[in-house]
Amino acid sequence: MSKMDSVTLDIVKDSLIAIGDEVFYAFAQTSMSPIIYETLDYACGIADAKGQLLTQGNGACGFIGIISPMIEEIIKKFGGGGMRPGDVFIINDPYMGGGTHLSDIGMVMPVFYEGELIAFVGNKAHWSDIGGMAAGSFTTNSTEVFQEGLRFPGVKLVEGGELNATLADMIAANVRFPVASNGDMWGQIASLRTGFNRLAELCGKYGKDVLLQSMARLMDQGEMAARARLAEMPAGVYEAEQYMDDDGHGNAVKIQVKVTIAKDRFTADFTGSSPQVASPINSGYSSLCAGVKVAYMSIVNPGLSVNDGIFRVMDVIAGEGLVLNCDAPAPTSCYFESMIYACDAIWKALAPVFPEYLGAGHMLSVCAVVLTGLHHKSGQPFLIVEPTGGGWGASRGKDGEVGQFCVGDGETYNVPVEMAESRYGIRIDEYSLHTDGAGAGEFRGGSGAVRSYRALTDGQMYSASFGRNKFPAWGTAGGRDGSYNYFEFLRADGTKEGPMGITAQTVLNKNDVVRMVTCTGGGYGEPGKRDPQKVAEDVKNGYITAAQAEEDYGVTVK
Amino acid sequence: MRIATDIGGTFTDLVAMDEKGDMRTLKGDTTPPDFERGVIRVIEKSGLNPQSFTAFIHGTTTIINALTERKGAKTGLITTKGFRDVLEIARCNRPDLFNLVFAKPKPFIPRYLRFEVEERMSHEGEVIAPLNRDDVARAVEAMKKEGVQAVAICFINAYANEIHETQTADYVKALWPEVFVTASCQVTREWREYERTSTVALNGYVGPVASGYADRLERRLDQLGVKAGKFFMQSNGGATPLSGAKSTPINLVESGPVAGVFGAATLGKAIGEGQMISLDVGGTTAKCSLIDGGEVKITTGYRIERTERSAGYPIMAPVVDIVEIGNGGGSIAWMDDTGSLRVGPRSAGAAPGPVAYGRGGTEPTTTDACLVAGRLSSANFDEAVDIAAVENALLERVGKPLDADAKQAAVNVIRVAEANMYNALKLISVRRGYDPREFTLVAFGGGGPMHASALARDLGIRKIIVPVAAAVFSAWGMLMTDIRHDYIQTKINPLAETPSQEFGQMWDGLAAGAAADFVLHGIAEGAVTRHYYADMRYNGQEHTVKVQTPAPPWDEAVKADIEKRFHETHERYYTYRLEGTPVEIVNLHLVVYGRMEKPAFNKLAPQQAPVAEALVERRQVYFTWDGWMETPVYSRKALLAGAKLTGPAVVEEKDAATLVGPGQSLTVDDYGNLIIETEVKPS
Repeated sequence: MSKMDSVTLDIVKDSLIAIGDEVFYAFAQTSMSPIIYETLDYACGIADAKGQLLTQGNGACGFIGIISPMIEEIIKKFGGGGMRPGDVFIINDPYMGGGTHLSDIGMVMPVFYEGELIAFVGNKAHWSDIGGMAAGSFTTNSTEVFQEGLRFPGVKLVEGGELNATLADMIAANVRFPVASNGDMWGQIASLRTGFNRLAELCGKYGKDVLLQSMARLMDQGEMAARARLAEMPAGVYEAEQYMDDDGHGNAVKIQVKVTIAKDRFTADFTGSSPQVASPINSGYSSLCAGVKVAYMSIVNPGLSVNDGIFRVMDVIAGEGLVLNCDAPAPTSCYFESMIYACDAIWKALAPVFPEYLGAGHMLSVCAVVLTGLHHKSGQPFLIVEPTGGGWGASRGKDGEVGQFCVGDGETYNVPVEMAESRYGIRIDEYSLHTDGAGAGEFRGGSGAVRSYRALTDGQMYSASFGRNKFPAWGTAGGRDGSYNYFEFLRADGTKEGPMGITAQTVLNKNDVVRMVTCTGGGYGEPGKRDPQKVAEDVKNGYITAAQAEEDYGVTVK
Repeated sequence: MRIATDIGGTFTDLVAMDEKGDMRTLKGDTTPPDFERGVIRVIEKSGLNPQSFTAFIHGTTTIINALTERKGAKTGLITTKGFRDVLEIARCNRPDLFNLVFAKPKPFIPRYLRFEVEERMSHEGEVIAPLNRDDVARAVEAMKKEGVQAVAICFINAYANEIHETQTADYVKALWPEVFVTASCQVTREWREYERTSTVALNGYVGPVASGYADRLERRLDQLGVKAGKFFMQSNGGATPLSGAKSTPINLVESGPVAGVFGAATLGKAIGEGQMISLDVGGTTAKCSLIDGGEVKITTGYRIERTERSAGYPIMAPVVDIVEIGNGGGSIAWMDDTGSLRVGPRSAGAAPGPVAYGRGGTEPTTTDACLVAGRLSSANFDEAVDIAAVENALLERVGKPLDADAKQAAVNVIRVAEANMYNALKLISVRRGYDPREFTLVAFGGGGPMHASALARDLGIRKIIVPVAAAVFSAWGMLMTDIRHDYIQTKINPLAETPSQEFGQMWDGLAAGAAADFVLHGIAEGAVTRHYYADMRYNGQEHTVKVQTPAPPWDEAVKADIEKRFHETHERYYTYRLEGTPVEIVNLHLVVYGRMEKPAFNKLAPQQAPVAEALVERRQVYFTWDGWMETPVYSRKALLAGAKLTGPAVVEEKDAATLVGPGQSLTVDDYGNLIIETEVKPS
């Protein structure tokens, strides 16, 4: 192939990426679940006929590279002639390829052109409920996967264009919000069909061979870019050890990583991390890989469009049965806690090596909240499943960002106060910055947030998992540590419970308030080096107090 | 005589039309920071008699410039207790997913200028806590001390009841008459507190700048002797009198670009085209928009400075739905680190501009490529072109990495640029559920007519219109505009269960607000028309689709009809409908037009001389689908009504060139528009 033809391939390649985007956005627009349409907790991807990822649109960072292992599972199971045009497969098994937690429903559609399998489209979306012991299918106290909802080991949901009505009925009978789940199911199917049609159009326009060559080029370019960056990186072995707050029984859980950067290989080895635990913070191998991929992308080139070529030079090692590579029937509904800890461990190990790409530690936890109850006006049940924003760490040349979702989220939106008050049986008393002044440094950690929900009806149930409630966001390069995530209950009778980090189904009655507080990120550099002018502005803006200016920065502000 | 002036990044355009339909167009320099100077200068240069003007319509980049250059007023915010950080927390999102040192957009109002007052509304508009006026007074005192110039007010749930906001605004004005004050309810009554706060904050930020500009321009126009009514073009495709521009300047943020879309819609009405896609290729960007049934599409999801990597800042004002990409004539061609050729989004702008301008530009642009590809003639540049320098830039930056010579490099730059535009055109059509083959492509701006031929063939579009005044078409669009105001109210109502009278009361509320505005603007009831829309969704969904509805009063039959329209629209956009699921109305949207008198279009004289007499030269020209061809080049001026020619051909005018591909034919219509009919591409 001449270099001239490469422009055609690039044009087709860009069209592939545009199709990926189209499939992604179409889904959010029609979704019935706030976790999808506001939080964009879903991903869509296109893979080649072997299941290698070509392009992926994801709202949540933690879904990176999660689509292709799911497709590989379908190929493994149905590859020998078990697929035909119009089929859609459903898969959410946490221990299979692409597994996260049961709430994330994966769907895969093979794409045929003139009878030949040329590609796959896949998507994965967080349904608001998939059955199990607790509303929202998201529990902090499950001990086995069987308590967490319906498990699909890769089965046909649509066969040759016809919905498998038996399966659909089974789903509807086992979830708490069948109308929303039905809407999301159709949204996912529609988005796959759009991808199917667009790929067929692209084939029609440029020919199948050009399309296939473009796919190969896309991945080769990804690999080339990754190799070029690796070759520039300082080779070496970098280690870090982190502790997750709690295994559900009061014990800290160890996460250990050894990152080896060689000229042509990036390896993250988690040997030495804790075994799996009887609480839902375990990750399957695919989830662990996603956590590693996030850190890897951040130092390779955060601007690259994601495909499997980029990851050909990356290895992840974790023995079976670890909290980061769990076996059945370990519960996984809060898998993101350990996945992000894995990412954070690499982040911490590499922050001194790549100060231009990695700053101090951030709020880390999704700070996931589930609240159920009855609406005060309509009397209808409502369900909140949402992340909470917090502070990010400072980095070389820049203060930390305030009130952002953790690294595992991404193009994820908070639920507006006005929308929440209309939809849910709560009033929001406060949504503000948590200006505790932690994370001192030449560059200051960003403030966390405070969000307070006042129950407007009796008998609401609150569950939450706020990790990083015992070990603070770490500072780097001489910067101080940030603070902790927590929540507390301010009862209508004036009593207070907490602060705490994890709870399951705590009852809120009318006028009880749950006050959720997220941490300030870590600082970067010695606080004494901070420009006194900036310290004075920080006091004026109320990010720190005059006493903190004096004590942490040695600056007297009147 | 109606006159429109449109300030762009490089040029200030003028289009004027007299009662007989005779048109005059002119380009002058844009003169930052005193933009009004350029406007006055281009009017003087035109030699037109200012006293003969019957209406003066103006599009300006002043507002967007004040925002992007951070040259607005020191602004303070008054908000509900507990929520002063809403503006800083924003939506918590991070589009730059894997960049772990990303920088979140900094709020336009710093924390120490954001003040909380005690007050609270419920989502249904009941007062939960009364307004504490002492808190307001304290905030005003603090802001005075800090030298604040504009005050923005936004309270939680004010979309449901604005009384606390208006009370606060009145009180602030009473305490401090010289400060610029806006409450969120003056700008929008849609929900989502961050977006609304951002909108009112930005309105405050640009308020003093906009008022100052409008005052200076008015004064200079008065001095010139302009007696005509003066109007500003808004982002919703309609105009507003000067007073509106001063109180809610944020409605002017996309003032210029939308005028072109609106112009296309107007042109369509005149020549019987209702389904159109507009393509406006300027110096730095290409913009496209879709016109359905003669109507431009409006969105309130607009953001400034939003990119793939940054969340930008929301402006919840009605803006014509435009897809804009960084691909214009000045866009720079470069090789990325995977060895792929890219064009844009970085632009050489006006200075240094493309290499061909000879102003020191060294990086090749789309304009340079089009010159080497024979699409443009060096004779049409203002200065003599150093063609060797242009070819060398293409060879060095693009050719060598691709093992190609300068000509082949140029060809590839054009292919990539057109592929980018193709994807943008698909975004505005296919992604929104429209089949582009059912549309006519209207191409304008300096570059639109040059790429339309190939793009139409790509998309299966059969007809292209290159309008009169193609290079200054946005200003032409302004000439054709009416006064337009949008009134949107969020209130979630299940369609079936809500009594028709309740909808009637909401429409009455919106109409009353509109009537007050129109009285204020001095527009006679006879000139007013109203259009009704509802933003609707299935129960459980969040995002809505806009459906045009019959005028109130509604009854059960009307409601059934609206529901039917919603199912159809939803299916068109998203491929499916949920027939049994309850349907909700989230917003009612009233659009009110105040009709302005406009001239009839003038007809061109019929073509009598042979078309060959319009021939300028023959040269080698590159066509995307057919390669290099010996091509006749015609002068547009010399082509009159009924003139016909077939491709390959180029039609040149002062600031644009139209390509007609092989298999395409061109006709000049009675008004001077170029109509290109294209063969359906073989599939």
